Amino acid sequence: MASLITCPHCGTRPKEEFSVRGAVIARPSASEKDEAWHRYVYVRDNPKGRYQEYWHHAAGCRRWLVVNRDNLTHEVFGVTDAQASREGSR
Amino acid sequence: MALTLLHRHALEDHILGFETSANPNHLSVARRPVIFSVLAHAGQEQAVGLALKAAPDIAPRFCGPAEWLAVSLTAGSETVAGHLSEISGASVVDQSDGKVLMAISGPSVRQILAKCVGVDLHPQAFAPGHSANMLFGHVAVNLARTGPDAFEIITPRSFAGSVYEDLMEMGREFALTASFSGG
Repeated sequence: MASLITCPHCGTRPKEEFSVRGAVIARPSASEKDEAWHRYVYVRDNPKGRYQEYWHHAAGCRRWLVVNRDNLTHEVFGVTDAQASREGSR
Repeated sequence: MALTLLHRHALEDHILGFETSANPNHLSVARRPVIFSVLAHAGQEQAVGLALKAAPDIAPRFCGPAEWLAVSLTAGSETVAGHLSEISGASVVDQSDGKVLMAISGPSVRQILAKCVGVDLHPQAFAPGHSANMLFGHVAVNLARTGPDAFEIITPRSFAGSVYEDLMEMGREFALTASFSGG
């Protein structure tokens, strides 16, 4: 199994244990215009290279993780718990 | 009309036939293990973890942050519930009927499990006493190392048959035997 993700709670695991849930983008506030919500829900940049994604560790600790990786080489730069990374950015 | 409720193990139809004596590599299925799910309230994670470790007759199994399975093969469910209720800041649910516990041991146990899980089970990476949730084939199970060559697998009851058949298949080349244990 080539793609290994090191979960901060469970250790190094194969990617089959996870479910990839898409890009990490800031959620607009509830009073934001429809346009901003449309962008948040549907529009993605799809860059080549370094990318931040939500990964759900479905078969392990069932926590949401933020995986910072290169989507071209699959080099993983860091994995943090989504809650911790949200608290860190506040 | 009198109604008699009989306990029937999920693997009753899988472990049948003549009783054979256990080989060195043996899978022993606990008949009625006591398994509670324990969740710590916010801010109480560390205290609950320590209290679980100190509780008598209970082996805590790590599932995720602030989440454990409390396992006991010796005490009854009322006793375990009593011990767990003394831990403050935790929510506790009896899961005994929904889970199946299998203990696998023997010299080839790591080679057998290597064909089932994608986790490094070398003693340096997964030491005795360590436990975690992981994917076993296509089923999410809790695996714990109870000794150098002994592991315990906790699966959801409805997946137990499939996990059991997988294990026996992978253990066939090592002459893995299986039986129920305990009353």
